Amino acid sequence: MIRVKNAYKTFRTHDHREVKALVDFSAHIKKGEVVVIIGPSGSGKSTFLRCLNRLEEIDSGEILINGVDIYGKNVNINKVREDIGMVFQLFNLFPHKTVIENVILSQQIVRKRKREEAVKISRDLLHKVGILEKENNYPSQLSGGQQQRVAIARALAMHPKIMMFDEATSALDPEMIGEVLDVMKKLAREGMTMAVVTHEMGFAREVSDRVVFMDSGQIVEEGTAEHFFTNPIHDRTKLFLSQIL
Amino acid sequence: MTFNKRSVITLVILAAIAVCIYYYFVVGGITYIWHWERIPQMLFYHGSKSADDPAVHLRMGILMMGFIMTLKISVASIFFAIIIGTIVGIARLSNEPITRWLSMGYVELIRNTPLLVQIYIIYFFVGSMLRLSPFVAGTAALAIFTGAYVGEIVRAGIQSIHKGQMEAARSLGMQYSKAMRYIILPQAFKRIIPPLAGQFISLIKDSSLVSVIALADIMFQGQQAVARTYYAFEIYFTVALLYLVMTFTLSMATQYVERRMAISD
Repeated sequence: MIRVKNAYKTFRTHDHREVKALVDFSAHIKKGEVVVIIGPSGSGKSTFLRCLNRLEEIDSGEILINGVDIYGKNVNINKVREDIGMVFQLFNLFPHKTVIENVILSQQIVRKRKREEAVKISRDLLHKVGILEKENNYPSQLSGGQQQRVAIARALAMHPKIMMFDEATSALDPEMIGEVLDVMKKLAREGMTMAVVTHEMGFAREVSDRVVFMDSGQIVEEGTAEHFFTNPIHDRTKLFLSQIL
Repeated sequence: MTFNKRSVITLVILAAIAVCIYYYFVVGGITYIWHWERIPQMLFYHGSKSADDPAVHLRMGILMMGFIMTLKISVASIFFAIIIGTIVGIARLSNEPITRWLSMGYVELIRNTPLLVQIYIIYFFVGSMLRLSPFVAGTAALAIFTGAYVGEIVRAGIQSIHKGQMEAARSLGMQYSKAMRYIILPQAFKRIIPPLAGQFISLIKDSSLVSVIALADIMFQGQQAVARTYYAFEIYFTVALLYLVMTFTLSMATQYVERRMAISD
């Protein structure tokens, strides 16, 4: 479903240093697969996700989604993005819209759904993530965990073919991490294709099909969660796991 | 409201200053016979318009006509200044260098030349080429002048919105223009209401400058009335008060809007 070939991405910092985020990076994600990406900060995990919907642009290489080169000349990036749901570390809900309006808006603007249809879909999704009773509240009136669940519902409302989670629980207080992970697990069990950048090893162990360990813009090691927790091969993997577990 | 010792001292000092001013001007300084009784008829009067139209009605006096004209030109200028400012504010942040430079050039050119000069240029040069009336030329000058400032305010407002908002909107498949319209600008406008209000209050006051192109605003009508009656003090105080009515109303209205929009915070 997703195939990244030999991608390079270099950032230039304000003091003109170069930071290599992706270095000859290749990866793939199959339909229905739940891939968890782990690695130290600055290893290129988020950049990988953000390049998949072109929030960042790769410098060279190729990214194919369902066989379409998303960096191709005649590609409408907005169409590509409609099928890729993204959940951010800082939720990024629209603060001037109520919870339900957050979920409705892009359905009406992008998917051109009728209002009644969009409302119905939104209610179903808010029910699914367990926050329907707050539909008329503003995001500022919600806890972090509640906001993130709304953000998941908002992304799902586009009926994406893949969901990306960019450290979706990293900004949450510990007691709220569980409620968000539960929603993510439910999605995984329903067969959603997912790319998840996270530090939650419990999540990886429970629902991931594959764990990818990244460092310095490259994949160091990949395998099942079982493989990672029992016999990781590389020293860098061992070091990283010993630090976070 | 509670008055403590310091408030009392402040009031005493203010009262002393007021007494000094009163004695200097009214008793010691100049002899001036006030004719405040002539002012109300410059606002409203009962009478006939002219010999052709002898019917007696309550009619607007010269200052009230000027007040209406100032109101008209201010509202029209604010309307166009918002449009210009929004376009310029977005253009300042464009990825396309020519758009960015053009908008920057406009802002710098307008902000760094006097409004009075701009009014003359627009009325006498552009206006005579395009046959603009004083009203159109005055509105254009004020809107172009204020638009440059509004553009900078809008730009700052857009930049103050967390970049995650644009990313979230774009990742949902919204085009840049849709994301601007539905997500970024509504939040930015809410934030820039206070500086915008300040800018529009300035515009109302600056509109007095269009009197130089014979547009019959309050300032122009006030000058005419002074030329006819020589009641300069009364008339200019009244003119100032009429400006204050407009600016203070705008100030209160924006504070009300600000409170209303704070509900989602």
